[in-house]
Amino acid sequence: MKNKDIKISIRNLYKIFGSDPKRALQYVKDGMGKIELLEEHKHVLGLKDINVEVPTGKTTVIMGLSGSGKSTLIRHLNRLIEPTAGEVEVAGDNILEYNEKDLRDLRQNKMSMVFQKFALLPHRTVLQNAGLAPSIEGQSERNYSEEARKWLDRVGLQGQADQYPHQLSGGMQQRVGIARALTSNSDIMLMDEAFSALDPLIRTDMQDLLNELQAELQKTIVFITHDLDEALKLADHLVILNDGSVIQQGEPQHILLNPADPYIEDFVSDINRARVLRVRSVMTSLPETQLERSGEIDHEDTLESVIALSEGDTALSYHVMKDGKPVGVLDMRKLVRALVPSEQSKEPESALFGG
Amino acid sequence: MATYDFIFNRLGLRNWCGESGDTGDGMTSMAQLLAETSGDDVEMSAWETPFPSMDALHEACPSFPQSRELTSGLESGFLAIKDTLKVVVDPLTQPLSWALNEALWVMQTVPWFIMIPLLMLVSWVVSRQMKLVALVAICFGFLGFVDYYIYTMQTLAIIFVCALSCVVFGVPIGIAMSRSDRVQRTMIPILDMLQTLPPFVYLIPLIFLFSVTEPKLYGIAIILYAIVPVVRLTDLGIRLVDKDVIEAADAFGMSKRQKLFNVQIPLALPNIMAGVNQTIMMSLAMVVIASLVSAPGLGVLVLRGIRSLELGVGLLSGLGIVLLAIILDRVTKAALARINVSQSN
Repeated sequence: MKNKDIKISIRNLYKIFGSDPKRALQYVKDGMGKIELLEEHKHVLGLKDINVEVPTGKTTVIMGLSGSGKSTLIRHLNRLIEPTAGEVEVAGDNILEYNEKDLRDLRQNKMSMVFQKFALLPHRTVLQNAGLAPSIEGQSERNYSEEARKWLDRVGLQGQADQYPHQLSGGMQQRVGIARALTSNSDIMLMDEAFSALDPLIRTDMQDLLNELQAELQKTIVFITHDLDEALKLADHLVILNDGSVIQQGEPQHILLNPADPYIEDFVSDINRARVLRVRSVMTSLPETQLERSGEIDHEDTLESVIALSEGDTALSYHVMKDGKPVGVLDMRKLVRALVPSEQSKEPESALFGG
Repeated sequence: MATYDFIFNRLGLRNWCGESGDTGDGMTSMAQLLAETSGDDVEMSAWETPFPSMDALHEACPSFPQSRELTSGLESGFLAIKDTLKVVVDPLTQPLSWALNEALWVMQTVPWFIMIPLLMLVSWVVSRQMKLVALVAICFGFLGFVDYYIYTMQTLAIIFVCALSCVVFGVPIGIAMSRSDRVQRTMIPILDMLQTLPPFVYLIPLIFLFSVTEPKLYGIAIILYAIVPVVRLTDLGIRLVDKDVIEAADAFGMSKRQKLFNVQIPLALPNIMAGVNQTIMMSLAMVVIASLVSAPGLGVLVLRGIRSLELGVGLLSGLGIVLLAIILDRVTKAALARINVSQSN
């Protein structure tokens, strides 16, 4: 199954923490649950039968609450954590067969990582931190400084190169973290709750910065978060994790409109749907007969902007345009219906929230 | 009749013991002597039952060893392995003798008008504080003025060599401890023992092993006593390095070696320096005791104060040691503070 569009594929990945994970694995494969395993065998089920394909050049967001195993999962991609069973393929290579040297090469050149707590080296300047990857390969500061400065400038840290990390604010420190990942020139960026430690306004700034960088660079990004708004803002491909298993994955708009189970329904019910949903997800295809329409909107417009355009008039309907051609129509009544989560009206007490 | 006769009778060891209750061999305990002089075998009440010690059991059974045979056995055992031990330890520790001799020679040969400015320069380079340089000048000036200059320099030479050896051996031991829990588990009891053993006790076996005229005798004693803090704090410092930073170093593909030298040691440096400071202070304490085994320096004067009750000499040399301690402490702490500033979080 060699697919050029898939950069990383994770197959049947299991991770069990404890003294004898191999034995515990058998119980899990025989159908034992997480709580039973902990009580009877004192083993913690971290990840259970994970199958995820990460598309090349896109942002894949893995979302779950704390304890869902998302941080454990991302650490399998560069083998900071060894799996109990399963396969991890990066660009067609099974990285679990790598020896120490191959693994170091993978980490130095093909993957970089951004951390929740920034994890900068406190005794090195911002420039030296940004140039960590080349310095590990033995390049001198003079050699890598041009590249490192370029990325520091790009993330908005002009003139801060000679500061020490403790002299910067949290948001600026994380910009250094991103510059450090970019300076390594790797195709894959792993971001472990990269913006979770920042305050909300800075977080929005950083998300915009990441989207901007991504539009420009098209890296393969694996982004971990517990925040659904953040996930929907960044994701091309969304994976929802709960208790160590993948419960739904796919296009974010699709998940939002077709939640697979009550857990996800609960999750998505608090979302500002007007801001997240796009016209293309709720439009209907072009009808046979051309009726009179109130105007034209782009297929990537958010519903919020369409509501603003219509000034709240539900009698209107619009032509949906893609690259200047009509691709569908949007009726305002359908739009308003899409704003209400499908299950909300039927079952208001569906609170099965795991917490 | 002795109290514990019954033990040997029950166990059927009477034949092994020989004559019951009678001491036929040469060693006589004080209690027996007293009993002999008082003339008669006193009947003992139950209240006076002696602890079943080696001596009490010996009374009941002459073949059972007395406690003094244990200590003399230890001694003869040590003397028996002494020559073999010496063959191994002597050449290994010889460089320490040379280093101490050289350091003593240099410190005493360089004239004061070069040495004192040199020491001031060193304290400036390390601390960058004019105040400390002035303190160094005043203290050495005072010690020179009261004619203790040579003694001070001898003490300083010994501390310099011993503290340096402590760092050279202690830091790698600390690193090894931080990397392996097993090494840590075996080292901690040894360090505890080195730290709590009364300093005089180090000296006794060392006197047997080396000649008193050799400087390494006191060198080893000082190093054993003073190496503990630098080992402990190196281990602690490396273990305390932020796990997230270590993970980042791993994630960007650092090798173990790069991690040690580029991340762990630099981040543990404040703790290591605190250990070096403690090590210097402890070697200063030990250098006084080491004067009992011919270590030169201010300790000799303290000893003279005690031996011949020269109160003034003892007090003044004690003050000299305090001044030296203050200088060494302040200068190393200033160096520590400079490291802290550059990486405070």
